[in-house]
Amino acid sequence: MKVSYFETGRYLAPEAMPGVWPMPSGAYDTKAGAEIYRGMVERITFAETLGFDWVSLSEHHYSPRILTPSPPMAAAYLAARVHKIKIALLGPIVSHSNPVRLAEELAMLDTMADGRLIVGLLRGTTNEALTYDLNPQESRERTDEGMELILKAWTEPQPFGWQGRHFKYRTVSVWPRPLQQPHPPTFALGTSREAGEFAARNRIGLGVSYGPFEVMGKATGYFRDQCARFGWQPTADQIIFRANIVLAETDAEAQRAMTAYPARAPFAMGAAVATALLELDSRNIAGEARPASINRALPINFVGGPDTVVEQIRQCRELTGAGIIDLGFNTPGSSDPARLMEALDLFGRKVLPRIRDI
Amino acid sequence: MAFREGFVQADGFRIRYMEGGEGPPLVHLHGAGGLRLNPAHDLLSRQFRVIAFEMPGFGTEENQRTRTMPELAATMAAAAAGLGLPRFNLMGTSFGGKVALWLAVLRPELVRALVLEAPAAIRPAGLQPPSGSPEEIARRIYAHPERMPPGQPVDPAVAARMMALTKRLRGPDRDAELERRLGGLTIPVLAVFGTRDGLIPPELGRLYKELIPDAHLVFVYDAGHAIGAERPEAFVEVVGDFLEREDAFVISRAKTVILP
Repeated sequence: MKVSYFETGRYLAPEAMPGVWPMPSGAYDTKAGAEIYRGMVERITFAETLGFDWVSLSEHHYSPRILTPSPPMAAAYLAARVHKIKIALLGPIVSHSNPVRLAEELAMLDTMADGRLIVGLLRGTTNEALTYDLNPQESRERTDEGMELILKAWTEPQPFGWQGRHFKYRTVSVWPRPLQQPHPPTFALGTSREAGEFAARNRIGLGVSYGPFEVMGKATGYFRDQCARFGWQPTADQIIFRANIVLAETDAEAQRAMTAYPARAPFAMGAAVATALLELDSRNIAGEARPASINRALPINFVGGPDTVVEQIRQCRELTGAGIIDLGFNTPGSSDPARLMEALDLFGRKVLPRIRDI
Repeated sequence: MAFREGFVQADGFRIRYMEGGEGPPLVHLHGAGGLRLNPAHDLLSRQFRVIAFEMPGFGTEENQRTRTMPELAATMAAAAAGLGLPRFNLMGTSFGGKVALWLAVLRPELVRALVLEAPAAIRPAGLQPPSGSPEEIARRIYAHPERMPPGQPVDPAVAARMMALTKRLRGPDRDAELERRLGGLTIPVLAVFGTRDGLIPPELGRLYKELIPDAHLVFVYDAGHAIGAERPEAFVEVVGDFLEREDAFVISRAKTVILP
C-alpha cells in the first residue's frame, strides 16, 4: 500500500468566524494565512522524511477549509521545496476550468517537478458550481469533455481544433509537454458510472473518496468491469482511496477524539441554495443515484490506534482494491499544526511500516 | 431544406445526385455505405449549393468498369464538369475522402478547398468496411447508436455489391503514390475526425497534417465515424467556417460580451 498525505492548507483562524459558505473574504487574516502557507512546507517536508509516497493537494474556493484554490500554484510552490515525494493534484476542478490552460499548467508542473506529478481530474463538489457561475446540471458533461481534451492536448503532436459541446478551440498545441510520457499518471476522480467509464475507456486510474469501503468497492468494481470491457485491468496503483483518519495511541483515545467531530460541515450554505442545488446536481455511485453531499461533514474512514488502523487499511485494500490511500489527518483539533504534526509522526512510526505489504 | 434528385452523364455513367441550397458549390462524395443524406447536408445547404453525388456502382446500377481510385476520381471530376462547375469546394467522407484526395491531386484546378470527413485514405491494417444489419453498422459508425434514428435496411444484394466495389477500388491501407502526391497540394485542406471513431483511429488524423502542406486537423468531440450524422451542428459549424474563410477560420469571430 502506498500512502499519500493530503495537505489541505487548513486556515487556523485567530478569531471566531461565521459558519457559512462562502466565507466573507473580509474575515481573512493575512498574517494567519501566510503562516498556513509556511506550515505547508514544514508538513510536507516532514511527510517526505517519514516516507510518505505522495503529498496531495485539492481545489476548493471561498473557504478557510482549503487554502489552495489554485492547486497548480500550490504544487509549484511545494515541488521546489521537497525532492522525493510525488506531488499529487487531486485535483483541479475541470468543470469550471479552461482545459487547455490546465493541460499547459500541469505539463509545466510535471517538468518543473522533475516528473513527480500525479494528476487527478475532478468534477468538483456541488457548492463549487457557484464559484465561477457554472450550471450544476452541466458540470458532469463539462468534466468529461474537459478531461478528454486535456488528454488530447498532452498527446496530440500536431496542432488541432476541438469542436466540443462545451469547449471550442480552433488551435491547440501545448508547450511544454509533460516530462512523463505520454502523460503523468492520471486519475478520474469520482464514484459515478461516468467517471468509471471515462477512466476505463481512456486507460487511466480512478480515485474514490470518503464513502464506506463496501460502497466505494461498488465504484471500483464497476471501474474494473468497464476496464475489462475495454480490454485491460487496472493495477492497484491505479486506484486511489481518499479518506479522513483519526489516529491516536490507543483506540479509546481515538474514540474520545471522535466525540468532538462535528455532524455538519463547519461552513454551510444557506438552506434555500442548498436545497436548490440538491435538485439540480445529480450524483451516482456506479450508476445508483445518490444525493449530492451538501452541508454534511465528511465521514472518517480510519479511526483508532495503530493496530486498528492497520487492520482497517487491510480491509480497505480488500474491499476497494485501492493501492494508494490519500489521508486527511482530520483529527479533531488538528487544525492546530502541532497536533497535526503529532498525528503524522504517529502514522509514520507506527502505521506506515506495517502497511507496505498490504 | 428540400434536396432534389438529378442525373448527369460522365464517362459513360448516368450519375445520380441530390442537390439543395444556394451559394458557392460544395460537392460531396459519400462513404462506402453509399449516398445517404443526413442533417449535416441540410445545415450545409443553408450556406452552400450542395451537390451530393452517388458514385457509380453505389446505387441501383452496377459498375464493373472502374478499376482504381484515380479512375473513380476522374469520373467524379467529369460529373462536376457535366454540371457546369468550373471550380468548387469538395468534401469527401471516409472512402469518399480518398476519392476526393485523388480528385484534388489529379485536378487541382477544379478544387477551391477540401474537407475530409473521417477520411479512409490512411487506414489501420486490415480494416474491413462496416457490414451486416443496420444495427450492426450503427454500432460501428456511431459513438452513441442509441441516440440515432434507426438505419434503413439495405437490399443485401446491393450491400454486397457496394462492399465488393469498395474493396476493389479502395487500394492499399497506405497508398504510397497518393501520399507522395499530397505534398504537392496547394489548396487548403481540413481533416475532421470524431474523437470516438471506432473505424479509423482519430490519431491517424495527424498524418494528413504531416503529408499535406496546408492542412488543418479538427476533432469533433464525442462523435464516431459518421460525424456529420452524429454531431451535425458541430461538424457543419467548422466546415462552413473553413470553406468560407479558409486558413483564417482559426480566428474566432465569436462575441463574448454578455451584458452590453
